[in-house]
Amino acid sequence: MIAVRGVSLCAGDHRVLEEVSLSVETGTVLAVVGPNGVGKTTLLRAVAGLHSLESGSIAIDGVDVASLPPRARARRIAFLGADDTPVESLSVRDVVGTARYTHHRWWEWRETSADASAIATALAEVGIGTLAQREFSTLSSGERRNAWIAFALAQETPALLLDEPTTHLDLHVAQRMLALLRALARAGRTVVCALHDLNEAAAYADTVALFGSGRLRSFGPPDVVLSSPIVDEVYECPVERVRLRDGSLRVYPSGERTALER
Amino acid sequence: MMLRLVSLAIVAIAAMFGALLVGGTPISAHAIASALLHPRESSDIAIIVWQLRLPRVCDVAFVGAVLAVSGALLQGLLRNPLVDPYLTGVSAGAAAAIAIALLCGVAAVATPAIGFGAGLATAVLVAALARRGGGLDPQRLILAGVSLSAFFSAIVALAIVSAQSSNYASAIIAWLAGSPAGRTWHDVALCVPYAVLAAALVVPAVPALNALRIGEAQARSVGVNVERVQWLVLASAALFAACSVELAGMIGFVGLIVPHAGRRIVGSDTRLLLPASALIGITLCVIADAVCRTVAAPAEIPLGILLAFIGVPVFLWLFLRGRYAR
Repeated sequence: MIAVRGVSLCAGDHRVLEEVSLSVETGTVLAVVGPNGVGKTTLLRAVAGLHSLESGSIAIDGVDVASLPPRARARRIAFLGADDTPVESLSVRDVVGTARYTHHRWWEWRETSADASAIATALAEVGIGTLAQREFSTLSSGERRNAWIAFALAQETPALLLDEPTTHLDLHVAQRMLALLRALARAGRTVVCALHDLNEAAAYADTVALFGSGRLRSFGPPDVVLSSPIVDEVYECPVERVRLRDGSLRVYPSGERTALER
Repeated sequence: MMLRLVSLAIVAIAAMFGALLVGGTPISAHAIASALLHPRESSDIAIIVWQLRLPRVCDVAFVGAVLAVSGALLQGLLRNPLVDPYLTGVSAGAAAAIAIALLCGVAAVATPAIGFGAGLATAVLVAALARRGGGLDPQRLILAGVSLSAFFSAIVALAIVSAQSSNYASAIIAWLAGSPAGRTWHDVALCVPYAVLAAALVVPAVPALNALRIGEAQARSVGVNVERVQWLVLASAALFAACSVELAGMIGFVGLIVPHAGRRIVGSDTRLLLPASALIGITLCVIADAVCRTVAAPAEIPLGILLAFIGVPVFLWLFLRGRYAR
């Protein structure tokens, strides 16, 4: 379980988030949503122990993240940013294998059978097992995104924090990726994703945290959060909700829905 | 890859042995081998091999190895293939200190030690200027290294202009040209502890340097303490560079080019790249030094100048091919 208590965050001199408190139960998916620049990435980085807190505390399974040394922290939390870092002269397997750093002490230089198994499983789970020996820089942006997600999975941590995991992925792969993340959660991991698409959040998350104006504006099940008029206010546009036959909710900017109906 | 590393080791040993054949007195390979196997002999050949040629070859091999490793470390840390060991400011600081010392009448025999100390002091200054938070800012490190190097180069130029009427100008220029001439076992032995310390500092950082190949942000996310790695690698690279300054003065391009060649042969895995770079550095410097001693015999071409003549075209070739790896 991840517990965020009264956390305030700054980016440089700018206060990004104020007094955020929320918790993510083990075995669930939390979608962090909100307009651009609201602090979703900063929050994820803070939960991963990669961004210092102005105030408050963040704990994973009762252990304060800030108190953990980098390797111990990385054995509990995998964080994947949205940036596509250029990587030269390495195979996809080399890149994914780097995630195993945290499972080795500094004098353990050789790949173990546990490493090989974790890398193979991660590559297979995201469906790029056949690309293992390809040079990373020759992949398409979508394939690279898949490989980075495999990288996060190969870390084999109880918590997965992913910033915009579906960026660059085509419709089918994006759906498959979110289904995989939900399956991982059901298998006992805690998954937190920053998402831009509210419908992805509605379809795959157990809980949604909606941020706006530097604060947590709404937190709860997707149906409750996305039905609230706070969504219209936070995104500064009128939003229409559509209830599908299976009971799930879809959210559209009102103009977009009108266009769809035509 | 291990086979390639073993091949590089064999080539380096062969180059060192071949360099022992080069000198004013013709000595056969058999006689050299015999002298190497019987170090306690007091024959003329044993004295030539053990007191003259072997110290020189070991000195040059040492310089080649430490410069190449220093370059590979800094290029890996900064993920910049255009970085060389002198970015740490070691050579510029050493050159300025030695120029001033020679102008002040300090004996030439003391200059290597002065260069070593001043080089390390400059590296500390560069690191202090590049400091950001608990670690180093790569961009600031490059700017501080380049700026301080330019500043100290100006001091050296001023010293040469001031010393034009005396013998000191030629002494300063000779040091700047880079040459291992006149170094003994004592000089090599003096540097060994520092090289061992540099190696001891960097060995724990090797897995982290591998992780840094995928970028600093990703390396942090898998638990790399980037700040600690930066300090370890910079300290190690500066110590290695200072050792080379102590043993041969200014030798350029080895630290820049050899890691590129190493990456082509064994890839970018730091566990293989560091020993491969060391072995290529040994081979390159030992062969170049043998050429320096023979082409204009009995005069000697400074090693630094010859390596620049080789280094610039090779570097341009690598650069223009555009296939160099990070």
